Amino acid sequence: MVAEQRNGSILIADCGTAATKAVLLDRVNGHYRLVARGEARTTSAYPHFHVGAGVRHAVDQIAAVAARELIDMRGDVISPEMSGRQGADVFVVAASASQPLQVVVGGLVRDLSIASAERAVARTYCHVKAILGDDGSSAYNEEQRVRHIRDSAPDTVCIAGGVEGGAASPVLQLVETAVVACSLMEEGSRPSLLYAGNSHLRRRVVSLVEGRAELRVADNVRPSLSEEDLVGAQAELEELYRHRRLARVPGIDVVASWSRLPVVPTARAFGRMVEYLWHLTEPPRGVLGLDIGASSTTLAAVFDGKLSLTVSTDVGSVFGAERVMQMQGAPALNRWLPEPMSEQELQALFITSALHPTSIPQVSQDLWLQQALAREAGRWALDKAQPAWRPGTARPYRRLLPLFDTIVVSGGVLRHAPRPGQAALVVLDALEPIGISTIVLDQYGLMPLLGAVGEIKPLAAVEVMDSGGLQNLATVVAPVGRGRRGETLLRIQVTYEDGSSFSAEARQGDLEVVPLPPGQQAVVELRPARHVDIGLGGPGRGGKRRVRGGKLGLIIDARGRPIQTVDDPDARRRQLRRWLSDLGA
Amino acid sequence: MYYPSESLVSPLTNVRRERKLPAPGEIVVRKGEEVEPTQVVGRAQMPSQFRILPVARLLGISVKKAERCLLVKPGDVVRRGQTVARLGRLISRTVESPMEGVVTASGGGRMLIEAQPPIFELRAYVRGTVSNVFYGDGVVIETTGALIQGLWGGGGEGSGVLKAILKGPDQMLLVEQVDATCHGTILIGGCGLEDGVLERARQLQVRGIVTGGLEPSYIPQVEKAPFPVVVTEGLGKVPMSTPIFRLLTTNEGRDACISGKTRIRWNPARPEVIIPLPAEDVPPAAGQPGAQLGVGSRVRVVRAPHLGAVGTVVALPGEPKIIETGAKVAVAEVDLGQERRVVVPLANLETMR
Repeated sequence: MVAEQRNGSILIADCGTAATKAVLLDRVNGHYRLVARGEARTTSAYPHFHVGAGVRHAVDQIAAVAARELIDMRGDVISPEMSGRQGADVFVVAASASQPLQVVVGGLVRDLSIASAERAVARTYCHVKAILGDDGSSAYNEEQRVRHIRDSAPDTVCIAGGVEGGAASPVLQLVETAVVACSLMEEGSRPSLLYAGNSHLRRRVVSLVEGRAELRVADNVRPSLSEEDLVGAQAELEELYRHRRLARVPGIDVVASWSRLPVVPTARAFGRMVEYLWHLTEPPRGVLGLDIGASSTTLAAVFDGKLSLTVSTDVGSVFGAERVMQMQGAPALNRWLPEPMSEQELQALFITSALHPTSIPQVSQDLWLQQALAREAGRWALDKAQPAWRPGTARPYRRLLPLFDTIVVSGGVLRHAPRPGQAALVVLDALEPIGISTIVLDQYGLMPLLGAVGEIKPLAAVEVMDSGGLQNLATVVAPVGRGRRGETLLRIQVTYEDGSSFSAEARQGDLEVVPLPPGQQAVVELRPARHVDIGLGGPGRGGKRRVRGGKLGLIIDARGRPIQTVDDPDARRRQLRRWLSDLGA
Repeated sequence: MYYPSESLVSPLTNVRRERKLPAPGEIVVRKGEEVEPTQVVGRAQMPSQFRILPVARLLGISVKKAERCLLVKPGDVVRRGQTVARLGRLISRTVESPMEGVVTASGGGRMLIEAQPPIFELRAYVRGTVSNVFYGDGVVIETTGALIQGLWGGGGEGSGVLKAILKGPDQMLLVEQVDATCHGTILIGGCGLEDGVLERARQLQVRGIVTGGLEPSYIPQVEKAPFPVVVTEGLGKVPMSTPIFRLLTTNEGRDACISGKTRIRWNPARPEVIIPLPAEDVPPAAGQPGAQLGVGSRVRVVRAPHLGAVGTVVALPGEPKIIETGAKVAVAEVDLGQERRVVVPLANLETMR
């Protein structure tokens, strides 16, 4: 981490696929505070074809609020700060406005090297176009593999395989296959090769590839059967993403020239902030971050101080509905809609919103659909992310989410939800947390922005986060253990700071809210039934916990895990409306 | 300050279209040359078929020995069935080429044979003048005329004569209205297409359809249609906006170019209709591209409940307002004509220039 530089104002911009966000941070009474924020459409396409315009539009909003000149006559961001409070000392940019890196993954064994390579690829903005396994050594299979690579026209072929000192010949064959495929492609459109396999073969790989393709080498992603090392491959893939995709975003070079620091991929910046959150309290369980962007969904899980970052580039809150429909069909979305829609109606609405990705739902049906897609985006990302997590004792149930002390959620679909109960319900349905967790909403979209500045001014990031940048949405108690419908699963007694108390019973299927306003704390005594686990040491074990208030208060989610929606359309309509009503949504 | 997205609907403007080859190739027109829509302006070789022959394995010998058995070398042209490797003289084992092509590489006991690559022909798409040539890469073609950007479309590119059938933009294009006189024309529709219109249009070799709305159930058909379809306002039963309907119908009988190509997510592209018109002086476009939304801006609503409606911004309240969903957002008051004044979130407006 770079040492803290001199104190001063910090302007940060995040160029997303749909929206560009900007914030100005400055010292107030010796502490960094959020001064103003702005948000505008991302302008990489017609009529601007320059992301700089969107940054200017967002920064102009800040300038108007802060009564401060931040853009000069030429339209460039003023940095460092000049006399008369013109400009900002530091300007930092995060971005995710480009198409993901297109990758073909090759390896030897599906559940070992290929799985590890896939996880490395999932740590940044990548889209896997094809997977090549070693399904025999015949050259006709090689021909198919060459065809796969050529027809996929990837940016990168990532080859893993062989534990350290292990298999040589099949790995080298894979490399040669990739080289042959490269030779069949036009010179300007050839992919680079990233070798992240058995490191003992590096020299032979270099001589095989020499002059025939661009070669990058990273540490073996699977050094042994039980070990995984994704750091090196992740760094190389991130570098490739920056050079092969991010650099192609119209105007990003100009925006980057306003800053002394390289552009940070938004997901990495988000992950860094989730890591900070863990380090602030070092909770015994994990901290989870969920960022639902317009075209991608990022999950950052930290256990024992170790970050696991997963970027799902195929589904977001605006784009990617076709992927959900293709893989799971309309029922996957209809299960979250109070009024079911036909496949064509769903498709029409998705196309309409994708054509104008910053537009917002104005009628309930549109809103429900957007939030349904956000739920599926979260679930989709979770399926992809979980195999890479190492939660240890924080995962008492293999098929359920591990225990998380804090779940921080970000993204326009949650931030702009008309009612906090809607945002909370999307998170509960998407992640299905268990035990006791605090859900924190990134109400201003600060997480990636602060993460971007964290590299040079971690103090600023932490101080702004602490000073109200994040909003406690609710503390959730989600018991695990099914009972009969209406059976009491949990008894709760809440004792407020003023000494008053409130008692309640949570029955199977209930979704209850106990008032506990922001800024207040309360002691919650939880007494689960014998077969019910609330994450306090096993079934039947209860206890007292001091919890903080939130916009919604304390949510008791006794709907069971996994959450099940009923099939009958009328009954489902009633069920979904009841859940919405229970959370005041 | 809000900078909305934009749609171009202009009766006369300068149109500049970049046409790029999918792979490096050859440009066959010169700067300043007049071109017709179907004229070929460039050619490129596309990825060809190939085969990898496992010579060593087929002959049952080592890689090193296989090198000595090859009868052809990289660069040689081979015929289908031609012997390319032989082991032994009197009682020999051979390997034949499975295809006609060129030997492009050999090594490691294998041989790579590539077929003659297929040629891609890039057409001008729009009648106009070649204003720039990027050698081996593409051209820029310029013209003057009317330009209508649509919202969504499918079915590639084409050109033909505009044909008006309907009396108003809120009418549905019916099957019975698509008759033999529609052959080779671009049909101007209204609020949607009756079931069967796309099939009838295909039979009559219609060159394109422009419609205000389109029922979502026709999306798969349009995506595979042999002619371009341009939806100008939105999916569903949505009347074509009056300015677009007027612009198209007043140009009935004129040649037009139509593209249904739509890319939504990355590198977005919108469908369009271009009607080349001779013009000495082109009036400046209304408003600057990328301008801020203001009172008096001509706008189109892009989300329900007023999807596709066109109007004029009459007020921009400074304070956010609560809309039907309960969200508190910045809004504009928009006059949709006929005494309809509605409140629309700024985010749901695009300007029409």
